[in-house]
Order: sequence, then C-alpha cells, then structure tokens
Amino acid sequence: MSDSIPSSANGRGAALVIGAGIAGIQAALDIADAGFKVYLVERSPSIGGRMSQLDKTFPTLDCSSCILTPKMADVPRNPNITLLTCTQVEAVEGQAGAFHVTLERQPRFVDESVCTGCGLCTDVCPVITPNIFNAALDSHKAIYRVFPQAVPAAFVIDKRPSPCKITCPAHIPVQGYIALIAQGKFREALQRVREAGVPFVGTLGRVCYHPCESECKRADWDEAVSICALKRIAYDAGRDDEKPQPVPIQYEEHVAVVGAGPAGLTTACNLTRRGYKVTVFDALPSPGGMLAAGIPEYRLPREVLNDEIDYVLAQGVELKLNTPIGRDGGPSLEDLRRDHQAVFLAIGAHGSSRLGVPGEDLPEVFQAVPFLRHMNMGHEANIGKHVAVIGGGNSAIDAARCALRLGAEVQLVYRRSRAEMPAAPWEVSAAEQEGVKLTFLSAPLRVIEKDGHAAGIECIRMKLGEPDSSGRRRPVPVDGTEYVMDVDTIIAAIGQNVESDGLGVETKWGQFVVDPLTLETSAKGVFAGGDAVIGPASVVEAIGAGLQAAESIHRYLRGMDLRDGRSQDHPKSKDIQISPAEAVKRAPREHMPELPVAERINNFREVELGLTAEQAMAEAQRCLSCAVCSECNQCVTACQRGAIVPEDAPRRIEVDVGAIVVATGFDVFDPRRKPEFGYGKYPQVITSLEFERLASASGPTAGRISLNGHPPNKVTFIHCVGSRDRSLNLPNCSRVCCMAVAKQAHLAHDRLPGAQITVFYMDVRAFGKGFEEFYDRVRKEGILYRRGNPSEIVRRGDHLFVRAEDTLLGEPVEVESDLIVLAAGLTPRADASGLAQILHLVQGTDGYFQEAHPKLRTVESSVPGMYLAGCCQGPKDIPDTVAQAKAAASAAMILLNGKGANHASN
Amino acid sequence: MLQIESRQFAVERGLFACIQCGKCTGGCPMAMKTRLNPRDLIYRVLVSGNGFNLEGREELWDCTTCLTCYSRCPKQVNPMEAILAMRGAIVEKGKIHPNVKTALESTFRNGNPLKMPRSDRAEWAKELQLKAFPDGGAEYLFYIGCTPSYDPRGQKVARALVRVLGSAGLDFGILGNDENCCASEVRRLGEAGLFEAMVEENTAAFTELGVEKMFTVSPHCFNVFKNDYQKLEVGAKFSAQVQHYTQVLADLTRDGRLKFNGSFEQKVTYHDPCYLGRHNGIFDEPRAILQGIPGLELIEMDRSREKSLCCEGGGGRMFLEGTNPGTRLAQQRVQEALDSGATILATACPFCLLTLEEAVKHLNAEEKLRVLDIAEIAERAL
Ligand SMILES: Cc1cc2nc3c(=O)[nH]c(=O)nc-3n(C[C@H](O)[C@H](O)[C@H](O)COP(=O)(O)OP(=O)(O)OC[C@H]3O[C@@H](n4cnc5c(N)ncnc54)[C@H](O)[C@@H]3O)c2cc1C
Ligand code: SF4
Ligand code: SF4
Ligand code: SF4
Ligand code: SF4
Ligand code: SF4
Repeated sequence: MSDSIPSSANGRGAALVIGAGIAGIQAALDIADAGFKVYLVERSPSIGGRMSQLDKTFPTLDCSSCILTPKMADVPRNPNITLLTCTQVEAVEGQAGAFHVTLERQPRFVDESVCTGCGLCTDVCPVITPNIFNAALDSHKAIYRVFPQAVPAAFVIDKRPSPCKITCPAHIPVQGYIALIAQGKFREALQRVREAGVPFVGTLGRVCYHPCESECKRADWDEAVSICALKRIAYDAGRDDEKPQPVPIQYEEHVAVVGAGPAGLTTACNLTRRGYKVTVFDALPSPGGMLAAGIPEYRLPREVLNDEIDYVLAQGVELKLNTPIGRDGGPSLEDLRRDHQAVFLAIGAHGSSRLGVPGEDLPEVFQAVPFLRHMNMGHEANIGKHVAVIGGGNSAIDAARCALRLGAEVQLVYRRSRAEMPAAPWEVSAAEQEGVKLTFLSAPLRVIEKDGHAAGIECIRMKLGEPDSSGRRRPVPVDGTEYVMDVDTIIAAIGQNVESDGLGVETKWGQFVVDPLTLETSAKGVFAGGDAVIGPASVVEAIGAGLQAAESIHRYLRGMDLRDGRSQDHPKSKDIQISPAEAVKRAPREHMPELPVAERINNFREVELGLTAEQAMAEAQRCLSCAVCSECNQCVTACQRGAIVPEDAPRRIEVDVGAIVVATGFDVFDPRRKPEFGYGKYPQVITSLEFERLASASGPTAGRISLNGHPPNKVTFIHCVGSRDRSLNLPNCSRVCCMAVAKQAHLAHDRLPGAQITVFYMDVRAFGKGFEEFYDRVRKEGILYRRGNPSEIVRRGDHLFVRAEDTLLGEPVEVESDLIVLAAGLTPRADASGLAQILHLVQGTDGYFQEAHPKLRTVESSVPGMYLAGCCQGPKDIPDTVAQAKAAASAAMILLNGKGANHASN
Repeated sequence: MLQIESRQFAVERGLFACIQCGKCTGGCPMAMKTRLNPRDLIYRVLVSGNGFNLEGREELWDCTTCLTCYSRCPKQVNPMEAILAMRGAIVEKGKIHPNVKTALESTFRNGNPLKMPRSDRAEWAKELQLKAFPDGGAEYLFYIGCTPSYDPRGQKVARALVRVLGSAGLDFGILGNDENCCASEVRRLGEAGLFEAMVEENTAAFTELGVEKMFTVSPHCFNVFKNDYQKLEVGAKFSAQVQHYTQVLADLTRDGRLKFNGSFEQKVTYHDPCYLGRHNGIFDEPRAILQGIPGLELIEMDRSREKSLCCEGGGGRMFLEGTNPGTRLAQQRVQEALDSGATILATACPFCLLTLEEAVKHLNAEEKLRVLDIAEIAERAL
C-alpha cells in the first residue's frame, strides 16, 4: 500500500524531521510555528526519545517529564505538523529545496484515530514481554502503551516473527492457540486455528510431522513445546456438535477443485468462506484423499476425520465423489474449465513405483498405497502370515504396522541404514515396539515363484558407497551375499507418483509445474498444489498449498495482482532472537500416554491417547511467546471501539520536502562488552539509564531506589564505561556521564538516607554553565569521590566488590557494594551507517554524523539541505541539544524561504 | 647503576598514552600482595627525566605476565610488555637472580629449563610407539614442551592426550629427543638475546622439517609460537599453523571424530589459564570439550573467562619466589574452586596443573578437590 500526503499544505514548503526526541520535537515545533509544513517521522510508537526516560535533569534538577510532556503535547496540536510514528525513511532523492522522500510505516495494529487509550485490551492480553522503556526492569503486555504520557496515546501491538509459525507450511498461528490453551480456553483455541483457514485441526494434531517443533526456541532451554499434541487437544477438548452455517454466495464465479484431500478441501473451505460456489470432484467413493485412503485408523480415527470433513462441507462446499477427471471415462479438464471459472488440481500422488524385479506381478505382491486404500475403504486384505515390506518411508511403516495388526509376522527390508530412513523416527520406533523386525542394508533381487504364487524373496546385502545427488550415501550390493527370506506376502512401498496423464497440463516427472508463489499452472485459470506438485509429502504442506491456492484464485477471479504483497521469504528461525519476560525455569515437556503394545497389535484402535486438560495447560505455559503478540485475537474481542487491526501491514508513504533535519539521537553502550563488570550477570550492576528508570516516579519502582524490594545502602558509581576506550574503538568522551553521575549520586543520597555513596572517576568534566557549582554541591552532601577507574567487579559469597586502584593513595582497594551503577557511554545509533547511506551523510571516525565545518557550520551536514540536531552529531546534554535543534530549524527555514540554496552549497 | 633511557623507552612503548586511570593496577593480581604497581611504575618512568633506575625494583620479578593489565587498559598501553623490557635491561646488565640464571643456562645447554638431559626428553613416550615427525608422514606435529616431557605429573597429561587423540584417529607425529624448548620462559625472564637465538634455531628446524600444522600441550608454548616468533626478524619464516590441543579436541568433538563412550560423573569447574584465555581469547573450546562429556556437570567460578585469576605460574614464576612468597595466588584460586562446590578443578596448562595441585596439598583439600587436565578428564570418558 502507499499513500501520498500533500506536501506543502500552505504553499510555503515543507521540512522532514527524522527522529522525535527532544531535538526533533524542538526543531519540528520551531519550523511549524514559523508557518512551514513539517513531517515528523519517529521510528518508535511514541515521541519523546531518551529524555522521556530520565528522572531529573542536571544541573538544575528539573523533572524531565514535567518539562518535556508539554512540548510533546504541542506536537499533535500543531496543525502544521504531520506526526508519523512507527515510521522510517527508506529512500531520499533530489537535492536541497526539492527532496523526494519514501517512508515506510510499520504496522501498529491499532488505529490511532480510533483508539481511546482505555486499556481494556491490555487487561485480556495473555502475553507479557520485557518493558524496554523501563530498561527491562519490569514488563508489559503485548498490546501496550509505551509510557503513560506517550504521544500518540494510542496503544500498539508488539508483533514479531515466531519460528513455529514461520516454519509451519500452513503458517498456523501456533503461539495464539497455545496462549489460549494456557488459559484453559480450548474452544477459542480450536476456533483460532479454524479462523486461520485450517479446517483439519484434530487431524493435524494427530498426523502432522510438526516441522515447527524442530525450530521451537524452547529447545534452547530444555525441550521443544509439544505444539502438535496441543493442536490435538484444542480439537478434542474444544469441539462441539454445532456445525457451521452455509456461507451465502457472493460472487457468480464457480470454482472446481479436483481432489478431496487436505489441499483440495482447504481451498474449497476458504473460497466458500469468501463467498464463492465451489464443487469438489474426487475419483474415490469417500472424501479425505490420503487422510482417508492412506493413513491408517490407529493413527487417525475416522470419526475425527469425518467430523472435520463435515465441518468443511457444512459451509456449503459441494462434493462429487466417484468422479475421476481426465481418466476412466470421467469428465475432462476442458469440460471443467467450460463450466468453472477457475480450477484447482489437488490430485495427490496415488500411483506406485514398481520394484523392478522378477516375480513382481505375482498375486501375493502388493503395492502399499492400494493395499492401504483397500483396507481403509473397508475391504478385507488377503495377506499371509509372513510379510516382507520393502521400503523405509512412512508408507512402508504404515503398511507394516497394518499387516502386523492383521496378525502377520512382519519384516521390513530397507536398502540403506537406519540413519537414512525417510520415515519419522517416532513412527519407526513405534513399529519396532509393536514387533516389526527391521532389516537394514538389504534389497530384493527377485520374488521366488512356486506354482504361480510367491514363495519367498531373494535379497542381497548392501553397503553404503559414495553420496549420490540427494547427498545420501548410495547403497551398493555386496557380491556373494545373496540370501532368501521365507515370506508368503510382499508389500512394496518404494515410491509414489502423481497420476497426471490425461489432464493436459505441463508436468515434470509427472508432477504439475507451477509458479511456487501463486500455484498457477501452464493453463490459464488452472492452479495446482499438494502432493500433485511436490510429490508425496505431508498433510500440513498440502493444507499450506490449499491456503495459497485459495488466495490466488480469489485474486485471479477478482482481477487483482497475484503477486502483490506476497512472498515466501521469511526470517530464518536461527536469526530470531528472543528475550523472555521472565527467567525460564526448566520444565520437561508433557508426554501423551499411549495404548500399551499388547492392547494395540490386534486391532486398529488409536495408539496415542492425547494430553489431559491439566497437562495441556502446563505444556502451553512452556511456550516462550517468541513473536510477543500471540495473535490470539482476544484483544480484538475486548476492544469496544473496534480499534484493533490484526491485518495491519507495512505502508509506503511518499513526501516532498525542501529541507531535512536529522535528529536520530544515540544508543547507550552495552556494558556486556566489558565482561569484567559482570553486567547482565550480577543483578546489582545496572547502567545509568536503568538508574534513571529506578529513580523515576513513573518507573517500575515508582521512584523508590530498590532491587528486589531492598533499598541498597552501599552504592558505587563507575565513570567512563564504554567511553574514552580505545580498546573498544570508542575513543570519545561521552560528555554527559560525569554530570549524570553527579546528579544520580545526589538522588541516591537524597532517597537512601544513610547510604554510603562512592564515585570512582578518572577526572570530572564539569564544563557547562552551573556544572562545577553542582559538582561542588554534590560532594558537600557527603558523597565520596575516589580517583581511579575500577578494573573489575568480583563476587565473594553473596557480596560484590568493586576492585580499583585509588590512584591518590597509590594502592589497590576493594569497595563492597550492593548497587553498582555503570556510567555507560553514549554511542552512535546501531543503525547510523544505514541511515547515513540512505541520506548520503558522512560519518566521522567516531561514527556520529559529521557536520560541514567543526567551527562555523555546526548544524549543516555534509549534504546541502540536510541539518543535524542533537546527539546524532555527537554526545551532548539537553541544553546543547535544544540549542542545536533551534539552530538546525533556523537553517532549514532559511533554505525554505528561498534564501538558503546558495548558502547551502558554498 | 641500572639505568634505562626512560624517555625513549616510554615513547617506544607508547607509555605516554597512559591516563593514569589505575585500571591496570586495580586488576593486577600481584598488586594485591606485592609492591608491584604497573600504573605507578609507568608514571615514574614518565616523570624520571631521561634516566630511570631499575636498581632495587625487585617487584619487576613479581609480574606473572597474566596480561590482566593490558586487557583492562582503555588506552591500549601494555604494562606487561614494559615490565618484560625492564627485566631485559636488568638481564642485559647481568644482574640476575641465581635461580633465573640456572634456568636460562639449562635451557641454553639442555634445551629445557629443568636441568634435564636432552637424551631423556622422549622417555615419557617410550612405550607408546608414536610416529616420528616427519619421517612417519604424519599430518600434525605434536609439540610436547618441557614440563610434559620431563615432569612426572606433566607426562601423565601428555600420555592421556595421546590416547584421546588416538581414539579420534588423529594423524600426528613427535620430534622425540630432537624437540627443543620453545623459549617462552626465556622471553618472560627477560633474556632477549637467548630468546632470539632459540627462535632462530627453532624456526630453521621447523622449516626444514616442513611443519605445516602443529599443536601443543602448554598454552605457553602455543602462545610463543603463535604470537612471538614471527615478530622477530629471525622468526619471520615461521609459518606453521599452531593450535592449542583444546582447539584440536574441540574440532574433533564437533566433527564427531572424538566420541565419549564412557562418562565422567563429577562437578567440574574450569580454571582458564592466562595464556589460553586472556592472551589468546580461547575460552569456549575447553568448555565445549567438557560439556560434551557425558555425566560431567560444569560449574563456573565467579572469576572465569576474562576475569580468571592467575595461578602465579607464568612469567618465569615457576623458577622464582617473588617478593611475597606467602600466599600463592593458586591457593586463593583453589579456595574459589572449593567454594564453587566442584570436586574437580580442571585446567589446560601444565604450569597451572602443578601450582594448583601444590595449593590443594597446602590447603589439605586433597579429599575434596582434585586437579586434572582436560586431556585427563577426556581420557577417562573415552
Ligand atoms: C501411507 C501414508 C501415510 C501418510 N501419513 C502422513 C502423516 O502421518 N502425516 C502427514 O502430514 N502426511 C502423511 N502422509 C502424506 C499426506 O497424506 C499427503 O501429503 C496429503 O494428503 C496430500 O494432500 P493432497 O490434497 O495434495 O492430496 P491427497 O490427499 O492425495 O488428495 C487428492 C485427492 O484427489 C483425488 N484425485 C486424484 N486424481 C483425480 C482425478 N483425476 N479426478 C478426481 N479426483 C482425483 C484423489 O482420489 C484424492 O482423493 C501420508 C501418506 C501416505 C501415503
Ligand atoms: S481496547 Fe481498543 S480503544 Fe481501548 S486501548 Fe485497547 S485498542 Fe485502544
Ligand atoms: S492478539 Fe492476543 S496476544 Fe496479541 S495483543 Fe491481542 S490479546 Fe495480546
Ligand atoms: S516457544 Fe512458543 S512461540 Fe516459540 S517457537 Fe516454541 S511454540 Fe513457537
Ligand atoms: S601481567 Fe599481570 S601480574 Fe604482570 S603487571 Fe600485568 S596484571 Fe600485574
Ligand atoms: S590501565 Fe592503561 S591508561 Fe590506565 S593506568 Fe594502566 S596503563 Fe595507564
């Protein structure tokens, strides 16, 4: 999406101000007050910047928010200012006087113009996350307001990628239904998955190979969350007998779906919900595709499958069974295309690969897929007492476990070793437990015939040779190791293929060729997905394809662009960093009970028995909320104004401006880079910014300086952490820390009567107006300044000691401390070089944006028409920042007035 | 008088960059117990006009070369190197301690500072039938070093390592009696001339033997080969890729070539040797090996990694008492290990092993804590 906002409302030119800390706010207000249009762009959800985090300001001890809040409030009131929060600059073209700027606005998920800030949403939100504004000293919900005085006052949702949802081929909102289960809301959990377009919840909860669990972040602490088992209980405990009502038809186009497997039915379900008439054709006598014909009942009870298929059909999907398309005398694809405006081919992979050995056509040699289909459709299977299953995939295991249940002794023969088996490991071990014998590195040579019947199979031993094109080591026969297996039945399960002949659509190896993003085939209006495209794969991939196809078909029928805004690029889960709100306590994953082996091997009863409700709730609580917002949508229900926009997406905004003021501020040095101080390891060691939040009346402790409820009584401050440090390539002085420490030492003295307060310093730089006087005052209060910069902090027992040399004594000293404040330096923004590239700004060797002349052009940047304000140009305090902001504003206005173009370029 | 030309000395070593912050002294483990004060020393050099007198500065021999000072310095001044240079000036004038003299003479004559004959160097391996380098055609040179070659405790480590490497199928050979001291301690003791001569000799020998990849038992040997040889003109040709054995084992474990079929059911804490950790930034590999051993529970002491407390065995201090022989740092270190609740104190350096073991005896803690090298723990879990 992209918007264009008229650029100069009053015809007098406009300016862009990037960053809305005190510098950006001040510059914007000045320029706007002079009658120019201003776009004030802020990356975070609220304006205010670092200053809003401070408690008191040196040297006058004014309350920071008391002096800042009125300025913040002026911004939305000023008719000349357009405030764009959650927004960043993407590109700038043009030159001084005529810049064309592209902005990208990240979704807030709450409509600013509607939200009243009532907070009902926050009350119901189940997710907590560290409160970054409070330096992570406390937490807030996934939907929150940055701080009470935030501007705009609207709430915002913190929504990020989570590994499970990204990895899930159907992108099911995993964390959402898990969050609901954690609260015991099983019905809502089931509803949530269905809302996401996935009708097969109980089915997936039983048969999914759950690739999500392999990426689950919880495994970094102990074990992955049982995502799949939780899906199962969402269905088992959340289902009811109510069927959905048919959805009224809105559009005249009619869609044909070929194949009533999970891909086809998912597409049908979603298109029906959007108001299309959909007919599903299937060659078999019952719907479900491989779910019904392939997967055995002991893994997927038919009652569950049928209930979920009924759920799809009840919405108005029309089903035509016993209707093969393009073969066996059924209608052709062309017939379908005449009567339907779009077709989705989801015919699965129901053909079988031949063994290619003599004797294969004897009556006792079966193919796994027809064997399973035959049995699953309720027919008697005529197998003997000694069965060999050839193959190592899931179909082989299913066939073996079925044959066993029919009373046979079963041997599985696989030509590579266990490590190469494509079957899921838990399926393999279940088969073993039940009594299936596994023979590895062995392959059939011929089926031994006796009187027209199979009387055994001759095999040969294999060994693993060089890796083949699939990267697996190629099995090669070992000469002279032939042997005979005494069996009366052989089930071949060595591969499935797609029966795509006769449809007239382009294929490769029998599989339909499609555009991977849109699923379009070579025939216009014909789409394909599922096993029919990727070969025998999985239910959840088929469902994913079904969702993709529904979206494409809708766009196609509505004449919309098929690709716009869609992509298959997701962040890699290993790149996703998470910060749980609370320390993660080790808790092993909950396991489902299973039917004892003795009770399962002679029947088709379900083997896995599901979690109990209590187990499920405990298991759900193990989820770490990687994406922060879980997408449970409870806030959507709670908000009475309808302010929440779950599908909010990034937006492009283009503006034209004459001048740009850059006011992006600074970052705080991360003291973890100086491990000798143990920051991040000792809770008693904090940064000066964290101290500001501890001391602030609106902070996590309401201004009481305390750690875990205990006021400290030995407080030590350490100067210059991450400043003036060449070993970290941070050579500059941060300019504000000396005075900030003086202020904080004063606050500590004031709020902690009787506490021993020590400041370790190298030298005190009290250079500004009133600074030295303030430093005098603070020392006189009884604060001990010791010269010498500490080398390390060590712990003995429960006590922390700051180790330093008191250089005036010339002796090493140790000062016991129960709160240690590191005066962490200021650094350029982590993304400063990124912005520098977009704006073509020059950075100094220290990383800050470089001014055009160090003495005479202190607010002009290296690019004419762009001006610098505040700490993005170098560390400075609030008075200097405000002064520079006003200067930058005035320089911008000179240019906007048409006088500055010459001046700017010389 | 033992004077150095202090102005030139300070300029050459960048001492004028010092802002007298005191971080070096604040972290120096020897400053706690001796007169050694690196900041003060630098300041005195700076203000001494052009002649700084080293006479009577016994504390120069207290430095253990742990490198804490340099690792804390915000201005990249290296007090340790300044101290070594001052030692050099003393040695050059021949004013050296008798113990130092013996160690240096033995190194010169016997190729080891321990007064042991060259012909006994390979005794430790006489029952092991190891490949000779390079005639055996091995991929790696296993450089043993003096302490593991001669000291009975060190020999155990060398033999354990041989078994571990063997089980992983690593192809290595040894030099036997032809192996010569690496000269690390010669350098720490300030004998720059002898050091240069030995670097020249060893570099020529390694070049001739065609050593491409090698690893050592001791972090001290590892460090000198890796960081000091090439800095000298006579060592510029030294081109072998040098690893410490913990790096080799960590690689072997990662590749699945080294497998632990047994277990080691103990609470282990790991002492980072200065020359492995602070000097060379190798903190993770030793831990990775330990964490890969079944049953082993790794506990961290407060002073770990960058903050590890020196055992006082480096910088020639194996041969010197120092001005305050009272409580050795190793005793403090062992106490920290005891407080951590560990039953095993692991390390990966022969000097650490000896000093820590000595300290355990001194504290009568043999019942509660054993000191083992990582190679020995790995061997027990094969
Ligand atoms: C034995 C076995 C066990 C499996 N177990 C699992 C499991 O535990 N978990 C998992 O995730 N996946 C499993 N799978 C794979 C999974 O079933 C498939 O990936 C999934 O069903 C594919 O869905 P689909 O809709 O693409 O195709 P299908 O489910 O095959 O559906 C296609 C439908 O189209 C019909 N059709 C075909 N041709 C025509 C035509 N010309 N005209 C009309 N109709 C036609 C077919 O009859 C069928 O009903 C298993 C597969 C097998 C064989
Ligand atoms: S419930 Fe709605 S109106 Fe109220 S704060 Fe939340 S989003 Fe805004
Ligand atoms: S969707 Fe759920 S988790 Fe996300 S903000 Fe709303 S209530 Fe919170
Ligand atoms: S911890 Fe929760 S959100 Fe994160 S990957 Fe696992 S299930 Fe998903
Ligand atoms: S190397 Fe270690 S012992 Fe020597 S001066 Fe530096 S900190 Fe002190
Ligand atoms: S740490 Fe560096 S700058 Fe500080 S006193 Fe020591 S040598 Fe000087």
